[in-house]
Amino acid sequence: MKSLKTSSSRPFKVIPKSIVLAFLIVSVVGFLDATYLTAKHYLGEVPTCSILEGCEKVLTSSYATLGGVPVALPGAAYYLVIFLSLVAYLDTPRRSILRFVAYLTFLGFLASLGFVYLQLFVLKAICLYCMASAASSIILFGLGICVLKYR
Amino acid sequence: MADNNHQHLTKRERRELRREEKKQARLHEQKQEQRKRLRRRITLWFLMLLGVGGGIFGMVQLAKNPSSHQISPSTPIDSTAGWTKGNKDAKVTLIEYSDFQCPACRNSYAWVKRLTLEFNDKMQFVYRHFPLKQIHPNAELAARAAEAAGRQGKFWEMHDMLFENQSNWANRSDAGEIFIKYAQSLNLSVEQFKNDLNSREVREKVENDYQHSIQSGIDATPTFFLNGKKIQNPRSYEEFKNLIQQAIQSNS
Repeated sequence: MKSLKTSSSRPFKVIPKSIVLAFLIVSVVGFLDATYLTAKHYLGEVPTCSILEGCEKVLTSSYATLGGVPVALPGAAYYLVIFLSLVAYLDTPRRSILRFVAYLTFLGFLASLGFVYLQLFVLKAICLYCMASAASSIILFGLGICVLKYR
Repeated sequence: MADNNHQHLTKRERRELRREEKKQARLHEQKQEQRKRLRRRITLWFLMLLGVGGGIFGMVQLAKNPSSHQISPSTPIDSTAGWTKGNKDAKVTLIEYSDFQCPACRNSYAWVKRLTLEFNDKMQFVYRHFPLKQIHPNAELAARAAEAAGRQGKFWEMHDMLFENQSNWANRSDAGEIFIKYAQSLNLSVEQFKNDLNSREVREKVENDYQHSIQSGIDATPTFFLNGKKIQNPRSYEEFKNLIQQAIQSNS
């Protein structure tokens, strides 16, 4: 009865639970990845150099920190905000929360595009952890678009 | 009539009472429902925050572990080739496969320098080139610069200079010019240095070291061998020092 009432009073389509779940999983992956990179930075360990990976080149480059703060830190905060917002949505399913998250993913998407560009064309080295974060951001952006489509 | 009225009133009263009771029951149910919802919310947030805390803790622990993508060498490590420092008759030999352009090597350079000073009589240190040319465009040139300085007896001086100033030449397209300036400041014959830098012998020496490293199954820098055994890269000077001390004690 209740659901009938809501669907008749609201012209919106219901956002599938799978989208929310995917959002949650990807934000957790991004958060763990960015936290790992932040921890690496603050533990002061310089990553070893390897034939195939260019991680150390990326992580020790001038683009890896902003005023002494590793860029992974705001990255971790970004994923955490998305994750907590999704928990808030699970708690009280207000569509505005999902819309906020969806708009927020634009930010992550743009930052990730910038980082991928720097790795491929400026540093000419690829850090797998950074690429994993970029992939997470791009997937989140895609999911954000899906959410915005459900009006 | 009066009796009838009374009966009517009590009926109404009874009905009201029942209604009141129902209302109370509904309120109680609602309260219970609310309490249940609150409990569910608290559990949800508690579990999620616990998960976040656990995630951060796990990642910090993971980050504390040294990188482990290195493989063990497939061929025995020859302890004679390479540039040596310290006591040649010492029972403890530390070999490093290193790249002048590698930031982690720059980091361990400072520790190794302290170790060679501290255990000068008890340890021999061997430096071998493993310039990761695929990711470090100036690494091979830097290795040749050290070799060229070595031909004039100043390998270690150039070695120190290259590491100390790594950030000044690592991403420069004119690194060759910078190395010539270093040679000048080390009072080397610049002409000879330039010749040696581009000589076939020096190129071959660096290439041989590189090939030897590849054949030994080494794929990362710095890679350390203590008395022929590959060690996990120490994370601090103290850790490194303890490893050397243990090796000295067990071989004395």
